Amino acid sequence: MISKLLLTLWMTAMIVAAFLYAGAATGFPGQTSRILFFHVPQAWIATLSFLLSMIASCMYLAKRSVKADHLALSAAELGLLFCILATATGSIFAKATWGSFWNWDPRETSIVILLMIYGAYFALRSAVPDPEKRRVFAAVYSILAFVTVPFLVFVVPRITASLHPEDTMNPAKPGMDPKTLKVFLGSLLAYTGLFVWMLRLKIRLLRVEGMREPEFVDTAMGQEEKLGPPSE
Amino acid sequence: MFAVTTLVAVSFSIGSFRIGDAEKPFLYSVLLWIILVFSALSGLSRSFVKEEEAGTIDVLKLSARPQAVFLGKLFFNLTLLGALELIIVPLFILLMNYKIASPGLFAAMIISGGFGLGAGTTIVAAMIAQASARGALFSVLSFPLLLPLMITAIKGCERATDGMNTAGWPEVRIAVAYTIIMIIMSLFLFPLIWEE
Repeated sequence: MISKLLLTLWMTAMIVAAFLYAGAATGFPGQTSRILFFHVPQAWIATLSFLLSMIASCMYLAKRSVKADHLALSAAELGLLFCILATATGSIFAKATWGSFWNWDPRETSIVILLMIYGAYFALRSAVPDPEKRRVFAAVYSILAFVTVPFLVFVVPRITASLHPEDTMNPAKPGMDPKTLKVFLGSLLAYTGLFVWMLRLKIRLLRVEGMREPEFVDTAMGQEEKLGPPSE
Repeated sequence: MFAVTTLVAVSFSIGSFRIGDAEKPFLYSVLLWIILVFSALSGLSRSFVKEEEAGTIDVLKLSARPQAVFLGKLFFNLTLLGALELIIVPLFILLMNYKIASPGLFAAMIISGGFGLGAGTTIVAAMIAQASARGALFSVLSFPLLLPLMITAIKGCERATDGMNTAGWPEVRIAVAYTIIMIIMSLFLFPLIWEE
């Protein structure tokens, strides 16, 4: 309860600070650079949850514990949500600065592929009826998709120049305003906190659903159906 | 057949004179790879579904090691892709009046791209054989995995067509690396799918 309250306060403080405390970066039209405080943490969470989902998938394949699968599924769902948010906010920024919502910038390409991977992951999960099989397939696909990502990160940017503001807004490089940096890191923390909280909620929800419908009922019913015809 | 139909449709609607010379290298390589990838996707999805439908999959599980089954299917798919490319690529060159400045790089790109296509899709075919809505699911699952390869292959063919900056063949090397990584990962992961 306390942590939720703290998170709410922190998040509110960061939103206020993003507009009032930090200054707008130079070189961007108007106030557009303030998207940094929202868009970058969203993209960070989308990537983080993708990584988390992949690690949980590996854990599931090694130990076959349902908990690991719950973690993988929850991370993937939240990842999809944050990925959509990052795409939407990035697209708005693109319209404001580059003049079009979409122009296949390398960053836009890679986030679309991330979206497609998440989409495919859920399509696969919904298409396999057997729960045990579904978990294994989803885990395998998650790992396979993760393996192709480095190609995308290193190959695609080589082919076309990116318009994505990197040098002017990358906190790892000097030249970022200290106030901006403070708010940016704070916002990153707030988003990560939000992510952890949502992740735990989702995992609890999955666990409760699992209790309500134990899996052995499924298989037992399946066997009964199979055994049915010969006895009749 | 699907491949030839697409090729004829593309060739008929675009022809070889509608595109300016400056844009030919890029547009032709895009068209060629779209035809190749989508005809490959329509054919390769069948490799494990066939076993499932014929009911031979259980015998196969009992009689062979999973790695052996995977490699067998991979070679089958690669042969299929080779045959497909052997038909499509010369036809495409003829129909579209495609002039290639460096044929060696072009051939290497087509071959290594084909290997990548086979390596990336065989394990997906094994998964969808046990799922519902197979055909659609195969494309949905394969496409994100193939996209890095496709972008590389298109770039490589474009480079081969205009004959500029061909030193080192970086795209071919990327495609080969992709193929190797996909085959190794599949060899690790395939037994998990197979024994379910």
